[in-house]
Amino acid sequence: MSDVRTEPAEHGVDMRQLRALIAAGIRLDMRSARRRGRTRLGMPPMVSMLVTYLIIGSFLAISLWKTSDPFTFALLTLSAAMFMTAVTVIMEYSSVVVNPDDHDILSHRPVSSRTYFWAKIANLFFYVGSTALALSLPASIAIGLRFGGGVPLAISYALLAIVGCVSAAAVVVLIYSTAIRTFDSQRFSSAITYVHSAATLVLTFGYVLVPRMLMREGVALEIPQGRWVWFVPPAWYAGTVELAAGNPGTHNVIFLLMALGSAGAVITLALSLISLDYSRRIAELAATSPNIASDRRGSRVSTRLGLIGRALCRTDEERAGYDLMGRYMHRDRKLRMRIYPAFGLPLAVYLFGLVTRSFADPFGPRPVEEGFPIQELLGFYCVFITLFFATAMTQSDQWKASWIFHAAPVRDRVAIIVGARKLVIWRYILPFFAALFVLLSLVIPPVSAAVYLILTLLLSLLTFSLLSLASPYLPLSQSVEKTRQARQLGLVMLLGVAMGALVAIKETIRDAPLPGMIAVVLLALLAVLSEVALRKRLKVRLAREEFAG
Amino acid sequence: MHAIEFRNLTKRFDTVDAVRGVDLTIPHGQICGYLGPNGAGKTTTVKMAVGMLMPTEGTALIEGINVAERPVEAKMRIGFVPETGALYENLTPREYLALVGNLYHLDPELAAGRTDRFLSHFGIADATDRLMTSFSRGMRQKVLISAALIHNPSILFLDEPLSGLDANTALVLKELLRDLAARGKTIFYCSHILEVVERICDRVVIINRGEIVADGAVDELKVLTHQASLEDAFTDLTSTVDVDSIVRALSDNVTGGEPGSDRGGDS
Repeated sequence: MSDVRTEPAEHGVDMRQLRALIAAGIRLDMRSARRRGRTRLGMPPMVSMLVTYLIIGSFLAISLWKTSDPFTFALLTLSAAMFMTAVTVIMEYSSVVVNPDDHDILSHRPVSSRTYFWAKIANLFFYVGSTALALSLPASIAIGLRFGGGVPLAISYALLAIVGCVSAAAVVVLIYSTAIRTFDSQRFSSAITYVHSAATLVLTFGYVLVPRMLMREGVALEIPQGRWVWFVPPAWYAGTVELAAGNPGTHNVIFLLMALGSAGAVITLALSLISLDYSRRIAELAATSPNIASDRRGSRVSTRLGLIGRALCRTDEERAGYDLMGRYMHRDRKLRMRIYPAFGLPLAVYLFGLVTRSFADPFGPRPVEEGFPIQELLGFYCVFITLFFATAMTQSDQWKASWIFHAAPVRDRVAIIVGARKLVIWRYILPFFAALFVLLSLVIPPVSAAVYLILTLLLSLLTFSLLSLASPYLPLSQSVEKTRQARQLGLVMLLGVAMGALVAIKETIRDAPLPGMIAVVLLALLAVLSEVALRKRLKVRLAREEFAG
Repeated sequence: MHAIEFRNLTKRFDTVDAVRGVDLTIPHGQICGYLGPNGAGKTTTVKMAVGMLMPTEGTALIEGINVAERPVEAKMRIGFVPETGALYENLTPREYLALVGNLYHLDPELAAGRTDRFLSHFGIADATDRLMTSFSRGMRQKVLISAALIHNPSILFLDEPLSGLDANTALVLKELLRDLAARGKTIFYCSHILEVVERICDRVVIINRGEIVADGAVDELKVLTHQASLEDAFTDLTSTVDVDSIVRALSDNVTGGEPGSDRGGDS
């Protein structure tokens, strides 16, 4: 005790500890990960994520350059930035907001709850603030140049974007904090994945779809006083941007008050809910994860397709990959949390289409007035699901257990990946499309729904193969690192290409069914060929792969 | 005032009682071995003692301070080597130990000097500025032990501290613990390795299914159980199976029950 300069604070915030924890947190954020058995200081993962977001932000700003007014521009760009920030926090939740490792490493040290809490908040703000800045920097420059506001407008926009994105992150924290306090540990363990998916659904609906609807109805282009505007947070920020651009309408002043008031409220509430005790509860949940193996059943369709998928495994290695992936998808809550939100996205689009009656037969007569392309958006998010699977299925907290694939006399390690991919396709993707067929048949002719979904499914499988090339690892063999999954969002560009193909083939079928169907057959052929190419590529890649533990 | 005191210490996870009503007092300067079979409640006891878990009932006192009520003050007196080996791997040992030094409000120069000497004595001085992602289990364990000692705590909780250490370092650590105890430090030593416990501990406490089933010096436990060694005494107190029959059954399971039949023998 004589070596200690001063006693740390029992209850308040200890500034020396706070500085040390913040510095360590930022250092950990910026550090490169270990790859393939050797330490390699390449581009730090967080920097690479920020570069990706900067590119996405630039793409967005350029594509909206021709927008007629600052409100519309700000509404669309802020919606995208807030949505992406929230999705990033959802995807990286366990490492960004509450890291159970902190509990193992810090909870026996003399750090008060409040000190830990402020360190965590500082790290969260650093992470979310950097993400928000990268996403909104190009838009802030564009708005300053395009609408004549210059540097003041650009700075106002950037600050509002950061506040908006931090608020979006705080909403995510609030949803989870409320869930963990509402449910007991056993029910929370089962419910968290669905909370996760519901959060994605709400965010998609609120931040992406409603602004698009406003655009469609022309409300946002005129006076932003339609009733929808008052329920869409990005619109409040967009109104504030318009105020900064020199349009001092009463509604914009109210928007300013609503934006700042709501930001203050959600951030204050979120701040009150993060603490080391909260981290302890998360860690205890992990330690006492209930045995769900015997009490949880998949849907009948999912189970039957799953059995067909397993029967289609040709070797013991494929079956090993299939069973391993299946059991982890079933029991590993964190793995499910990384994947299930993806299903919330198309569901949100479907609900949106239902509410706004936007669905129309994709192969029927072309509408006189071009409406909101709801089918295309639905198709996009269906393909988007494969991105979540392709990146998450290679990661696990227990990644070191993959030594078994290197030490055991496995003749064909590619077969293990193939087996895991078959599980994903037969147990998750195909049942999802089957369910979607039922839902879509309620709003468009069943034959059209079937053809459209077959087309989307083929594109999904093709994209899944290409995405697997970008993440060519054995199942569950990579560590779960902060930013790893968010960085993969950059691959959304690839999905844009798939989107283009979807629209082109759909239009071909509409105009000339025979060539259109030939295009579908060719697409099916391409999907099969891509699978063959993937296996060849994986074989070369895995021959060089060493165990990284 | 005792160095460590547990009063009716209890931890319940859902419907499982991991630790049930443990009462224990340990004076200053004693090395107390805490033994038990897998899942007996050893680590859970330690986690409550160091403030990582809240007891469901009862209290843990460190030099008279209730860990649940005044955690920071209690934790200042504790050094802990966890069984999990958890540390921030994307820091270097120097950065990690500097962080720990700051958390305990150590003088930075004192912490830096101790860091250099610890890492040098443990034979990893050349890795001081390398990220710990590339460290072996033994190297990480050396950093964890350094982190537990750097603030000169009066009480040490060690959960399988020899895990991953080479024979020479293990010997150094055992002798170090004896020396620290002679200088008045109290050591709470959790382990499965009975011969180490037998060699260094003044007292042995055995826990089984969450309850203390024996407490005394090694010789006292031998007398109590009428056994010749601590290993036999431990088995007598905690095992309900016949070792010979289990061994035969396992061997039969491996070989298929017949000498030389090692493939397809399960049919």
